[in-house]
Amino acid sequence: MLRYILQRLLLMIPTLVGVAILVFFLLRLAPGDPVQMMMDGANVSREVIDAERARLGLDRPIYVQFLTWFGALLKGDFGVSIWTGRPVLYEIGIRLELSLQVAIMATILAVLIAIPLGTLSAIYKDTWIDHLVRVFSIAGLAVPSFWLGMIIILTLLTYFSWIPPLTFTPFFEDPWKNLSQLIWPAIAVGYRYSAVAMRMMRSSVLEVLQEDYVRTARAKGVHERLVVARHAMRNALLPVVTVVGLEFAFLIGGLVVTEQVFNLNGIGKLFVQAVARGDYTMIQGLVLLVAVFFVLINFAIDMLYALLDPRIRYR
Amino acid sequence: MRCSIRGYGIAEVTAATATIGYKVPQRRHPVLQFIVQQPLGAAGLIVIVLMGVCAIFAPWVAPYDPLTVDYASMLAAPSSEHWLGTDSFGRDVLSRIIYGARTALAIGFLASFLGSTIGAVIGVISAYFGGKVDLVIQRIMDVLLSFPIIVLAITVVAVLGKNIVLGVDVNLVVAIGLPMIPKVARVVRSSALAIRELPYIDAARTAGFSDSRIIFRHMVPNVVAPYLIMLTAFVAQAILAEASLSFLGLGVTEPTASWGLMLSGAAADFYQQAPWMIVFPGIAISLAVFAFNLFGDSLRDWLDPKIKL
Repeated sequence: MLRYILQRLLLMIPTLVGVAILVFFLLRLAPGDPVQMMMDGANVSREVIDAERARLGLDRPIYVQFLTWFGALLKGDFGVSIWTGRPVLYEIGIRLELSLQVAIMATILAVLIAIPLGTLSAIYKDTWIDHLVRVFSIAGLAVPSFWLGMIIILTLLTYFSWIPPLTFTPFFEDPWKNLSQLIWPAIAVGYRYSAVAMRMMRSSVLEVLQEDYVRTARAKGVHERLVVARHAMRNALLPVVTVVGLEFAFLIGGLVVTEQVFNLNGIGKLFVQAVARGDYTMIQGLVLLVAVFFVLINFAIDMLYALLDPRIRYR
Repeated sequence: MRCSIRGYGIAEVTAATATIGYKVPQRRHPVLQFIVQQPLGAAGLIVIVLMGVCAIFAPWVAPYDPLTVDYASMLAAPSSEHWLGTDSFGRDVLSRIIYGARTALAIGFLASFLGSTIGAVIGVISAYFGGKVDLVIQRIMDVLLSFPIIVLAITVVAVLGKNIVLGVDVNLVVAIGLPMIPKVARVVRSSALAIRELPYIDAARTAGFSDSRIIFRHMVPNVVAPYLIMLTAFVAQAILAEASLSFLGLGVTEPTASWGLMLSGAAADFYQQAPWMIVFPGIAISLAVFAFNLFGDSLRDWLDPKIKL
């Protein structure tokens, strides 16, 4: 097991280095100059721009820039935002709580909806229950989360003449106010998420119900409810865990758009702002963070799998 | 099962019918076969075709010009004159949705075609050569896979800017197509790995054919099923991505009609005054994605149920 963990950890390194290289050079291909963009409109001379470029280190050869950036990165230093002048990690840090909370709430919501409905759909395959659940889940894949968010706001506004609070309150300060703001974006992104998990749960339960041990349990006269709960559901959860884990990393992507709708000041909004302003260091930091997050979650899923299914360790 | 009588001459089969008294089902046209076996997929296909027709013949289908500003009928509610109402510039919402189908389908198809085709070629090359080539390609694909589609697309859009050719933003197509490459490459690679072991590939090698000939003439045609399945599935993804990017102001820009763009900007300012500005474009996006998902799912069940997307 230790060997397996080490092997998997080592495999992460080239991927992460590749991500860093890709992010850095992709952004350096951009035609626009961030300093020029920043000073846009303000009538400044060539010298001021050059001085600013020198201060940010943009006048040095590109490979030197990369090595400097990468070296600092290894020490946990993501650099300073070109736009605000504050450290990238600081800017991300103050917004992370909000985005992470929405992501976690969406995950909880998705799991709570997906597991029972997916199981029901599989048990009652080809009945009206199954059809209903499947239509619900296919629709979930089709409805854009940002539009669902707008429809939620529209509904709240039209029927309750109320909109969610606009300023963020940390959960532990005032849980009620916090939830009344963040539950809506969580529903908007959680619906799609639950649809993905629901489909996986359905097909997974259907597969497990064909297994010999389920037939054996039934033949022994075990109550059908117990067969489903103990034998089928438990074994069907494994692939669902993977999907939920993978989608969690991608949830951050979904938040990029949905945060705009609810006017939330999270990392998604930060990303869109950084792109609009040509804030290289900020874009690099954010994209890298998302990728690291994704790779780590992948690693965690692999570990969980190995723990639950010993056959994988010996492959 | 479907093509069990393939390989027999028609005469032989009919002769056998006569003696056994078993009526051999007539082989129907594949499109007809698909419609009968996959009614849901056929429904999706019908919606897609209808949308395609509307997109192509938009100038004749749409009741108004999508760009004509008419302040006299600003924010008008749906009526017999403007079926789905008008927006804050007095432009007809229905006409803009019909023209928006052009944008969505054009970018959706082009991006998906680009991403799937490059992905398929990379997947086949990776599987065919194996060894170090495979290892390097797979590592690169791993790197690309660790970005959410929308994050990578936004980054590429930010880097490339705009480049409009024949009314389509080529860079937007690239930005949306690029994140699809590793996903298609992965699925196609696994299909191609199985094909590589088949005797006819050995035969082709023994005959002294070049690598490129074997790849393009012998292997590529045999991964068409997963390729087509991924292509359809990704059209839906691409339409969603285009809508999201345009909504963020990073995709299609005014005054071009695009569903995502219709939802951004002014629409949010008139939630209560003009809810039709928000409701209808969203329905258009959902319907399009729904139709492609439905069709894609059925196509997979019909061609190769084992492929996991």
